[in-house]
Amino acid sequence: MKTKRFWIAGVVVTLVLAGFVSLFASASPDGLESVLLTGCETADGEITGGACVLQSAGDHEIGGVFADYGISFLDNEILGASLSGVLGVILTLAIATGLFRLLARGRKRENA
Amino acid sequence: MSDLALHIPVDVVNGPTSLAFALLAAIAVGACVVVSRRHLDERLVPLAGLATAFIFAAQMLNFPVAAGVSGHLLGGALAAALLGPWLGALCVTVVIVIQALLFADGAVTALGLNVMNMAVIAAFTGYGVIVLALKVLPRTRFGLGVAVFAAAVVSVVAASAGFVLQFWLGGEEVGQSFGAMAAAILGTHVLIGIGEGVITAGAVTAVAVARPDLVHALRGTPLARTAKESV
Repeated sequence: MKTKRFWIAGVVVTLVLAGFVSLFASASPDGLESVLLTGCETADGEITGGACVLQSAGDHEIGGVFADYGISFLDNEILGASLSGVLGVILTLAIATGLFRLLARGRKRENA
Repeated sequence: MSDLALHIPVDVVNGPTSLAFALLAAIAVGACVVVSRRHLDERLVPLAGLATAFIFAAQMLNFPVAAGVSGHLLGGALAAALLGPWLGALCVTVVIVIQALLFADGAVTALGLNVMNMAVIAAFTGYGVIVLALKVLPRTRFGLGVAVFAAAVVSVVAASAGFVLQFWLGGEEVGQSFGAMAAAILGTHVLIGIGEGVITAGAVTAVAVARPDLVHALRGTPLARTAKESV
């Protein structure tokens, strides 16, 4: 497979994962979170009682438009989750590719 | 809704410990930049970018591991298998920084902790296991799959052990003893590691079939040429 075709196939798979498959991801607390929640009672993802480590955890310092993989100003949660995933992939692809390009250029200059 | 994804949130590990690990992470990432720069071929850049975006997407896909508990790919072993540990750790670092700054996933003050665990520890332990496993396993699709699976399991458990260490240094146990918590963290992450192993083995063997030259772990394994390379 040519590199270009491989790259395009990879980007398509990645966009589908972030924009669509992610909607079916488990909403249960993950491994770290569930252990840090031990001792607390929860309902709908909110701590309702008891004592656990996560109780003292603060709110995120920044928050932001994409906080918690949604889009804060969109009322449609599904659309927000899907869009934030797609935008996140595009942003990550652009930022990572840009940074690695700088890194590869630095090497060229050094060798010259 | 869960707003944390295997990422350490605000104020779970205290300031001094977070700062110490931020320094450690800065040194480790700096070393990765220096070493990667020496080897990074410009033709590899789009693929490293793609691997990073893939890890970002895969980290959104929480899969159930037990009743009411989920896990998601960390991606350290995947990145290391495809790109080597130095560049691989940088890929995961980029993902973790973007998540903390834009997606409120993982505290900004916990960046050093999260980068050490999920990027540095996961990529290097994962890569170590792949290299060791490929020394004894046949270099077939099956052998590579098994090596990568084992690497992914070890990398996830090692990353979670990193958190246990950080919590031991700078956390305050509530609701359960430190020992019980450590056992629960490590046990859960064995399960998550199995999920990570299945996904990573699938992804790496798929790449190996399409483009074996894009699997760093295959190139890096010395076969017949030995003495000179090991120096």
